Amino acid sequence: MTILITLIGTLLFAVLAPVAGCLLAGLDRVISARMQGRVGPPILQPYYDVRKLLGKERVSVNSVEGTYVACALVFACLAGGIFYTGGNLLLCVFVITLSSLFFIIAAYSSRSPYAEVGAARETLQVMSYEPMVLLMAVGFFMAAGSFDVSAVFSLDAPIVTTVWLVFLGLLFILTIKLRKSPFDLSMSHHAHQEIVRGVTTEMSGPTLALVEIMHWCETVLFMGWVGMFFVWGSPLSVLLAVVVALAVYFLEIWIDNNFARVKWQFMLKSAWAVALVAGGVNLAVLMFI
Amino acid sequence: MAMLGFLIVFPLVAALLLMVARQDKARDAIVWASAIIIAVASVALVAMNLGTQTVLFEFSSPVVDTICTLLSCVIVGVILAFAVKYKNVWAGVLGLAQLALSLYFELALAHGMSVPYGLYVDSLSLLMAFIIGVIGSGICVYALGYMKDFQAHEPEGARDRRPTFFAIMFVFLSAMFVIVFSNNMAWMFTGWEITTLCSFLLIGFTKTEEAINNAFRQIIMNLLGGIGFAVALIICATQVGTLSFYEFLVIGVSNPALVMLAVVALAFAGITKAAQMPFQTWLLGAMVAPTPTSALLHSSTMVKAGVFLLVKLSPIMLVCPVPSLMVMLVGAITFLLCSFMAISQSNAKRVLAYSTIANLGLITACAGVGTPEAVWAAEFLILFHAIAKSLLFLCVGTAEHHIGSRDIEDMDLLFERMPRLARYMMLGIMCMFIAPFGMLVAKWATLVSFVDMNQIALIVILAFGSAATFMFWAKWLGKLAGIAGEPENVELTVHKSEWAAVLLMAVLLVASCALLPLISAYMVEPYIVSIYGTLGQAVSADNLWIGSIAVALVVIVLFAGVGRASKARTVGVYLSGVSRDNAGRTFQNALSGESTATVRNWYMEGVFGEKRIAPVGVAFNTIIMVAAFVMAAIGMPMML
Repeated sequence: MTILITLIGTLLFAVLAPVAGCLLAGLDRVISARMQGRVGPPILQPYYDVRKLLGKERVSVNSVEGTYVACALVFACLAGGIFYTGGNLLLCVFVITLSSLFFIIAAYSSRSPYAEVGAARETLQVMSYEPMVLLMAVGFFMAAGSFDVSAVFSLDAPIVTTVWLVFLGLLFILTIKLRKSPFDLSMSHHAHQEIVRGVTTEMSGPTLALVEIMHWCETVLFMGWVGMFFVWGSPLSVLLAVVVALAVYFLEIWIDNNFARVKWQFMLKSAWAVALVAGGVNLAVLMFI
Repeated sequence: MAMLGFLIVFPLVAALLLMVARQDKARDAIVWASAIIIAVASVALVAMNLGTQTVLFEFSSPVVDTICTLLSCVIVGVILAFAVKYKNVWAGVLGLAQLALSLYFELALAHGMSVPYGLYVDSLSLLMAFIIGVIGSGICVYALGYMKDFQAHEPEGARDRRPTFFAIMFVFLSAMFVIVFSNNMAWMFTGWEITTLCSFLLIGFTKTEEAINNAFRQIIMNLLGGIGFAVALIICATQVGTLSFYEFLVIGVSNPALVMLAVVALAFAGITKAAQMPFQTWLLGAMVAPTPTSALLHSSTMVKAGVFLLVKLSPIMLVCPVPSLMVMLVGAITFLLCSFMAISQSNAKRVLAYSTIANLGLITACAGVGTPEAVWAAEFLILFHAIAKSLLFLCVGTAEHHIGSRDIEDMDLLFERMPRLARYMMLGIMCMFIAPFGMLVAKWATLVSFVDMNQIALIVILAFGSAATFMFWAKWLGKLAGIAGEPENVELTVHKSEWAAVLLMAVLLVASCALLPLISAYMVEPYIVSIYGTLGQAVSADNLWIGSIAVALVVIVLFAGVGRASKARTVGVYLSGVSRDNAGRTFQNALSGESTATVRNWYMEGVFGEKRIAPVGVAFNTIIMVAAFVMAAIGMPMML
């Protein structure tokens, strides 16, 4: 039964998440533009871009890249389906990592110097944020009493009240996961970076469109992770979660526009230090009190 | 019971035949036939006893006891002979010490103690029998083709020592069966010592100076473990009053203080055999041996004997804090640090070795936690690690003979140069670290069991270790996946026997990942229920099935989806618009000359280098083990 629900949820997520993600991406572009003193594109611009990409000729440096990217998208949707149907948070975390891996392999498979640099950096980014993500799942378990996301709806108080330090840790690595500056080492949408496209250098047309859609899905999933910290038994809490998620998204955009890209050493060390302090200390406190 | 005897004796017969067979054809026939017979017999044994509780067989024989005593002497004799020949003092001293202890034990203590039920099976030993019988003999078949190439690379006129090689491989299998089926701890000890000696001979097989040195390092470390085992036996005989492993475990659970020192000593033996830090260097050194040896040592034998013993002890660990803490910490620290060090390695076999040690560390930590959930995780870690690691070693061995290197940087473009092999290798790598494949499901269960026990240190270690694991596997995977130009396909000359073994491992891997929920229900859970009385399973069946679906998807993509001709127009990669020969990745440089764009992987020597990290682990774990011995030795008399 759970399997069926998860699969249906995955299909629904695959339809709905791109819509929400697309709007978020449009919002990102508008807000970023305003922060930079520009008017910016219409809010549906990401949609227009992807529609145009989908209509372009299939051009690729090898025959496998598109397949890997499609896999990455499928697993991103599966992860979203697991999460939004209230499934196991750890499984969700593992499946989204699988999605990242396929994205990385897609870049490696091109054997293009820029894409390979991007892929290596993306691997490093995964290594940087992974400990905090796992500790977040453990923190969730300790606060909610279960790894099932649906458990939040039977709580008396949102889990952020007990694992707020873990929440802060999540906010830190969220910047890496969303590939926002200062942690946009593998690929970026700021034209002034030393390597701009990195991972996606060799992806074009429909393949690039899939990558964009995957990012939308990822964004919606990660915002779900943020929101889950603020949900409890009360139905109104979902509204609160949405508001918080939007606020966090705005914060990410603000960070993106105000910090310069850092070196990998700083990213790795700071992300691991945050995981150790925010995750480790919070969990230790929960265990021993 | 006849089946157990057959599995123990038959490989010995095969070994004898292999010693006398000097023709390639005869050897091929014997190895193929014996491997198939052993595999079929062990599968039959598993099938006949599927889901069994512990079954003890009434079997005691003074003759076997005498043989074991004699074998102990012969083993030490061989070691002493080598120690004298190569003037290695430590090996000699430790060998003599062990001989003294084991003779004292056998003649003075064990003589009056009989173990009426000499043999047993339970679901854990069945799992081990499956691993030894199917994967171990698969590796023996693989060795046929590999050793032909190996012999061809030897200098002209070199003596053909392959008969010895294959004989030792089969003796190894037999000794492993002895370890997993013996209820009489004295017999188990003999099997234990035979595996030590066999791996010593296999590691030193090439007789180069490096091989001899590494073989001696192995024997010295494992003799230490053997001494630990002998001490445990003496304590069992004098204090606990039994040599039956089953009774020992029962007594241990009800009276942990009585067996504390014995368990610490046995766990120490297990830790040395499982190559945990500070003993990790023997397994790293073992890679000088021909690749089938590495595959055998890493996947189905030797190190698995170590973790098998630890997992067996885990019910006692649950109630006995001193050995539990020691095993948990040693395992966890090893997992973390060896995962880090794997990042800094570019030699494929060394990466595999570090990953083996790290995963054994995880199994060790699970055994130390000792809850039903942790044992569930440990058993799956053992199973999947055995399959995936043997697949990877076999692939690396074959690649080495065809591309002339075992360096990951030289595996560029393997996806085109050895298309089938690269896919198998990618499958093996994926199984080692990524969901939904088996190892990750087991790690998932490990995490849950740590959380249940509130082991904050272990949780944090697992989180960071897993992140490091992602790094070193993903970058290797990336190297394999690269496609550029149309390099020559060099895998056409791979031996049939090698393909057969690789295919066997790949099929086993996919089947065991996809059927994980069934394996859990019929092979792993029965053991846990029979030992703990309750069922502990950290990952629900529904989630396991979701994983199975994802496995099927990934396998289909890897073997049917990628590599097909696509309709897309193929273009060159982006080389800043100044490319000369796009397939060769060359471009026009600033002096109008030609440069090649190459990308090397990230090794981060400064952060994760061996020199920085290894001493930390060695120091920590040595202190932990010394402390555990002291506490057990002082604490036991006080608590009794």
